[in-house]
Amino acid sequence: MNNTLRRISGLIQHAGKIIDVAFDRSPAGRNLTVLPGDIFIVSYPKSGNTWTRFLIGNLIYQDTPITFANVESRLPSLYVHSDRALRKLPRILKSHDCFDPRYRTVIYIVRDPRDVVVSAYHYAVKLGILPNNHGMEEFVPRLLDGSFDSGLLVNPRWGSWYDHVASWLAMQHNRKFLLLRYEDMLDDPQRELAKVADFLQLEASPERLARAVQLSSADHMRELEKKQAAEWSLTKNTRPDMAFVRQAKQGSWKSELPRRAVADIESTWGSLMRKLGYVLVMDADADRELIRH
Amino acid sequence: MPSSPNSFDRILGALAQAGRVLAGRQIAGRGVTVFPDDIFLVSYPRSGNTWMRFLLANLIYPNQPATFSNIESRIPEIYFNPDRFMRQFPRPRLLKSHECFQPHYPRVIYLVRDPRDVAISFYHHHVKARNLPDGYPLVDFVPRFLVGEFDPKFGSWRDNVLSWTVLRGSNPAFLQIRYEDLQRDPVHELAKVVEFLERSSFPKIDSSTEAFERAIALSSPERMRALEQKEAGTWVLTKGTRKDKPFVRSATVGGWKSQLAPESIVAIESAWGDVMQNLGYGLVSTPSPTAVEAISQSGSPS
Repeated sequence: MNNTLRRISGLIQHAGKIIDVAFDRSPAGRNLTVLPGDIFIVSYPKSGNTWTRFLIGNLIYQDTPITFANVESRLPSLYVHSDRALRKLPRILKSHDCFDPRYRTVIYIVRDPRDVVVSAYHYAVKLGILPNNHGMEEFVPRLLDGSFDSGLLVNPRWGSWYDHVASWLAMQHNRKFLLLRYEDMLDDPQRELAKVADFLQLEASPERLARAVQLSSADHMRELEKKQAAEWSLTKNTRPDMAFVRQAKQGSWKSELPRRAVADIESTWGSLMRKLGYVLVMDADADRELIRH
Repeated sequence: MPSSPNSFDRILGALAQAGRVLAGRQIAGRGVTVFPDDIFLVSYPRSGNTWMRFLLANLIYPNQPATFSNIESRIPEIYFNPDRFMRQFPRPRLLKSHECFQPHYPRVIYLVRDPRDVAISFYHHHVKARNLPDGYPLVDFVPRFLVGEFDPKFGSWRDNVLSWTVLRGSNPAFLQIRYEDLQRDPVHELAKVVEFLERSSFPKIDSSTEAFERAIALSSPERMRALEQKEAGTWVLTKGTRKDKPFVRSATVGGWKSQLAPESIVAIESAWGDVMQNLGYGLVSTPSPTAVEAISQSGSPS
């Protein structure tokens, strides 16, 4: 009896999949048809991609502000819409894909991986992938080697933080490429948004920039999330007691990430972190050691 | 840009696709299921991948020489075979791919070839596939080759080679083989591949000199050409292409010296000279001023 039920439900699922694939309704992801003129907002997950979408969207759309209810139709994600649906939407696209040679215009956001790991951990709990009491010590190694597979949060096809960042940095030549650091955006969002405006040749008076920054502030986004969490694909069916827009600050790893995890991250990805200007605990310790002797 | 299909075509397309999904015959491509023990044979197109497949198949299955009819069930290519078909292969699997850097490929044998020779080979390939008309000037093809116009998802030669070498160049799960070295000393290069396979928990392969020489003889251009004449109508890569043009072409090194126009050589070398020099492909035109920034800037994880 149970077996029959399982078989029937399997058949229904398979049929659903056939309909999705046949009518091109599964999310585009890496099978996206890239069109000339496409602009991509690319990052490893939990690196400020949604905030960047709000900033750019609020600069472009002067009529109604960006909200969680309209962001997917204005700056759509490759993982929300099908390839066919995306053909009818504006083509400033959010992507978490590793290097893809077809992307010709790329705004790439990078964030200190120690903070990325903390943020990913909280999001994993919010998504219900990790239980409340799951230790960060156990989560970090799974994220480090890029094998953690949760679909929504991370996916081996996106690579580890290192693979993701290094692949895009190495291949930035011969395409239009703008690198943004999340930390610089926190430090002076208006300055960084001006870089984007210049890159995309958008009209950007100081007033327009200020308005966009204001409409994309963490406080404003938190307010919107409270009202719209059920409507947005990234927060729908996740734990409502935890926020998507969390702290929106840098350096929370210093208090939240166990020493051991910091050391693991730095010894695995340190070379690239230094190149990006992230100061390593490891190096500071070594310096202190030198001074002492 | 493709013209938008009319609704009748779209429905037909949807039905055909539904049929493929229903029958589990969707082509794997980028969506291929990857197992942790998979080994990928990766290259930019026209860089000796089929030859390498023949060499390895002839080494691994010494009793059944490789042919165009059986190669897809030995070392399948992900763009022509359904995922479900390949999932049933004995593990560890050897799979052929032309993708740029893929972070989830666990082990990679990467074949690279002098892009000046790749240009010529790719040109003839596109004439054979009817993507270019007969007599289309090679000199006009080169700029289109440089921007990776024909297979954008594989990137340009530079995108493909650089993305793999920068990200995995110093990784023990990555083996790079130059087509030119394989031509010059196939026994030596094959020994490296066999060593790599065995390190990757592949079943023991007979690596005596006789076994190597036999596999090399069974994969010679002459034999492959003879097989192609018989089997071109059934093999996925040659089916439906022009019969008057061979898939297995000259299989030589340095053809560009006599066949490429000087301006084409200059164009390739000034676009990709940095990567070429790093791979040991000497330049004949004035060296490009750009240093190998990408490579020197991003090392691998310490």
